[in-house]
Amino acid sequence: MGFPQRKAAIVGVYNTKQARILEGTPWTLALEAIQGALDDAGLKHSDIDGLSSMMYDASLTAQQMWVEQLGGRPMTYTSHGIAGALVTKAAAAIAAGLTNVVCIYFGNAGMRAGPSKQRAAQEAAPVVRKAPRVPDWDFNVHGAYMSAWYALWTRRYMDQFNAPYENLAEYPVIARYHATLNPASIMGERGEITVQDVIDSPMISSPLHRLDCSLDNDGGYAILVASAEVAKNCRKAPVWVLGGGEGIYTDFYMSFTNDWINDNGQSVRRASDIAFAGAGVTRDDIDVTGMYDCFPVTMARNIEEMGFCKVGEGHEFIKEGHLKLGGKLPTNTDGGLLSHSHCGNPSGMHVVEVVKQLRGECDARQVKDAKIGAVLSQGYAVHGVAGVAILGKD
Amino acid sequence: MTHQPYNKPLPQRLPENEEFWAGLEAREFRVPKCDDCGYWHWIPYPACRNFLSTNQTWTTTSGKGKVFSYTVVHRGPGGFRDDVPYVLAMVEFPEGPRNPIVIGTMVDVDPDAVHTGMPVKVVYEDIEGENVTIWHFAPDD
Ligand SMILES: [Zn+2]
Repeated sequence: MGFPQRKAAIVGVYNTKQARILEGTPWTLALEAIQGALDDAGLKHSDIDGLSSMMYDASLTAQQMWVEQLGGRPMTYTSHGIAGALVTKAAAAIAAGLTNVVCIYFGNAGMRAGPSKQRAAQEAAPVVRKAPRVPDWDFNVHGAYMSAWYALWTRRYMDQFNAPYENLAEYPVIARYHATLNPASIMGERGEITVQDVIDSPMISSPLHRLDCSLDNDGGYAILVASAEVAKNCRKAPVWVLGGGEGIYTDFYMSFTNDWINDNGQSVRRASDIAFAGAGVTRDDIDVTGMYDCFPVTMARNIEEMGFCKVGEGHEFIKEGHLKLGGKLPTNTDGGLLSHSHCGNPSGMHVVEVVKQLRGECDARQVKDAKIGAVLSQGYAVHGVAGVAILGKD
Repeated sequence: MTHQPYNKPLPQRLPENEEFWAGLEAREFRVPKCDDCGYWHWIPYPACRNFLSTNQTWTTTSGKGKVFSYTVVHRGPGGFRDDVPYVLAMVEFPEGPRNPIVIGTMVDVDPDAVHTGMPVKVVYEDIEGENVTIWHFAPDD
């Protein structure tokens, strides 16, 4: 039994404005995004009967409150996680008759995650008299945080594969170029950058410079996945879910295995192999992708683990320009997490952009004749949490 | 010089891992070793990852290892902001076959001298006024 291809489609997508600081709360931004996606689809809030939260702490209580918010009728499906997997599982649930319209939603305001937020909070707080206690193996005890942790991964990758930093630094250049073609991106208006600009930007945690790091901003988005029956009456052409997969493993910044990077692959490999097999398409069939790209090493490892190149060759694949518009695998055409937006839990925006590409809505950054797209959502590196969805139009 | 209280995050000392925290106080880095398959495990879980055996014994490691990866942090969070630049390292212990890889800061080291493969040893810091000792790494000359 294979994946139920073309039994469910993405019928509505919406990104709110993405900006360093936005008025509102996580709730109001998610609400704005849901309304936007409903308008995009031509559906009403009362059509939603499944909820997939992108909240980190997606408690049952929070889901119940959203059920009340969206009209106060029983929903028949809930889930939470990362976007590629949520799209896939929504499609499977729809095919199984559990639900008809699943809403994947996220909003974030005033909850910036990086050191600047921590610093501001510290300066605003009274003098610390007692060290805060954190979970026992938490990397915060050792002065680690996201950029520093990805720096460790980057260094290991560079050492293991003799990968020049300059090859990896080509990725922020590509992402910024894409952002200049996306009026909604945060960094596009600052113009294109060069590898030298990346190298000249302040060192954050060696070898990572500021321009290697994700943005840290506010924003929201929503995605509606609906049955074929619902999709045929929606405003826009359906973007079908052809296949997908999920992978969960370790690397939650505390426990690592050697070989950290190996030919067997980790979560992204598992999720990708399941997704491509289920969709019945090959890597060569993919016209456009959206991949979680929090740092350049993440992109290098993404394309290796997804099977677009061999392990250890991702940095060369980047250097050769294949991810750029006009290349053989145009990726993150919105500017991605480095130059479009990182709104806290941003993996759904990779879905939104691929859907827009398959609909032909991307204007200056449109990939010509894009018919099949792949989305990779992940967290905790390619070893940790992965969700892949393969999408296609008629 | 006025006394500055330690204001960085500290780990919770939970009863199930008491052997570990007591070990740090005794200047030993202990991890669960499986009595059945002989694997050394980090981070600790109640059962061996290999065969799910609960026959594990907290066992003292060599306390030595090699740098598996490292970074020099130039922008530190919270209480670490005044420590920059500091070295954060992942250290691979020699206890195989599933060698523990442990994250920690490096002390008594020139950041420019750190490299992958560098021999290091565990060193210990008792935190004044707190019930916990934490670990770091230092060059093992
Ligand atoms: Zn065992």
